[in-house]
Amino acid sequence: MTRVVEVPAFFDERSFEAFAQSLAAGPLTDRLLFDARGATWSSPVGFVAMLTAAQAVREAGGPTPQFTIPDSADVRRYWVRTGLFRHLAELVEIHGKLPRLKVEEQSDVLLDVTPVRASEDVHAVVGKIQAAASRILHGELGLEAKATMGFAMALSEACQNIVEHAGTGGWVSVHAYSYRKRLKRRVVVIAVSDAGVGFRRSLEATQARRFGDRWGDAAALEAAVIQNVSRFRDPGRGQGIAGIKRYLARWQGKLTIRSGTARIAIVPAWDDDSPLLEQLAPFPGAQVQIVIPAQQDEPQDDAT
Amino acid sequence: MRQTIRVERLLRESVETPYSNLVTRTTGRLVRTSIERALEADGAPLALLDFSDVGLVDFSCADEIIAKLLLDPPTGAYLVLQGLQDEQLEAIEHVLEHHELAALVHDPAQGGARPVGRVSADLRTVFFHLREAGASTAAALAGQMGWGATHTADALETLARLRLVRCSDGLYALPYDA
Repeated sequence: MTRVVEVPAFFDERSFEAFAQSLAAGPLTDRLLFDARGATWSSPVGFVAMLTAAQAVREAGGPTPQFTIPDSADVRRYWVRTGLFRHLAELVEIHGKLPRLKVEEQSDVLLDVTPVRASEDVHAVVGKIQAAASRILHGELGLEAKATMGFAMALSEACQNIVEHAGTGGWVSVHAYSYRKRLKRRVVVIAVSDAGVGFRRSLEATQARRFGDRWGDAAALEAAVIQNVSRFRDPGRGQGIAGIKRYLARWQGKLTIRSGTARIAIVPAWDDDSPLLEQLAPFPGAQVQIVIPAQQDEPQDDAT
Repeated sequence: MRQTIRVERLLRESVETPYSNLVTRTTGRLVRTSIERALEADGAPLALLDFSDVGLVDFSCADEIIAKLLLDPPTGAYLVLQGLQDEQLEAIEHVLEHHELAALVHDPAQGGARPVGRVSADLRTVFFHLREAGASTAAALAGQMGWGATHTADALETLARLRLVRCSDGLYALPYDA
């Protein structure tokens, strides 16, 4: 019997939880069908989440899942342009006819869905993003030109978490879009996801004893994100997330990291998200989202 | 005698990439190893690490290269960083702060070098006075500054321990002063 995993119609960070619940409703070794027929839109979070889920099924030894593509021709075209299906096709059996399109280079897609497995991939991601990031961050979002380099740094560190800690490959995607629901401004969103060991397992050997009974996904995220702790004893470790937070503080950005059954957020003034969520549906690996908003009309130099 | 090490060239030799970004710990380790080899081969007492033509420097790579070279210097050479853009320097300063380290950065506006990282206001004051005065004893510098001899000597010792100044036979000088 096939179990259906619903792909949310509007797939963003919030609806991600519905997707995670649907995936967690049974074992990953079930025969699965990812049903995206009703999909109307996805943020980069959705793209990398779908790939992560499919990768987790493969790594769990489950049968190759089926994937039904969106009914909407526009959505199909957009998803093809993001590069999603090129990678998804290696992990699932795609049902439906996809248009033949090239991945767009000059669009709101700053970085099409890109696998991250090794240090060389991070080099490629950072190298590819720089021109587009400058165009969008400076040109469209009104950030100072120097914000581009910090953005690429944040992206590099987020991707390196996969290489250094996940124990498997992952995915990254970067898009710009209008975030009308909460902010009424354009944003750039970096989404990074892997199906690896997650923060709790990565930090368990060095941190579990310190937290005692509190140890779990939330405590592990707190250790990594708030206390900048790393599984390595090297005192130089843990600076990546600290550097990301520093960059986001300057540009009023938002960071969320979800791992296992918990999610932690560094919440800027413009958002009312919860700083910590626990007892969520389990989802493989770790998911990082970075949101950089357009600046307001008046310069905001107070954080610099 | 000074040695100039072109970091971008070592990056090209260490990593197969069309880009000139110093990103990832793996890259940092490879580049640091190349720098260590170059330092050992040349043996000059002063080495200029030239970051001209380098693109991005991320925190992890800065940690692997700069922090580790300063924490565990492969030779006795004093290091001066040069050719850095503001954003690259910012990443390096973040790493230096994390480790409570300091480094010398070439100051094109003033000539010479200035200290960056974990350097207190007092240490900066002493450093810049020494830069102005040239090689000096602690007592002579204290006299010029109008500071107490012990306070000045302590500051100079700290600067020497951070390898921001050198000390020979009680005479303090900036590493690039002959």
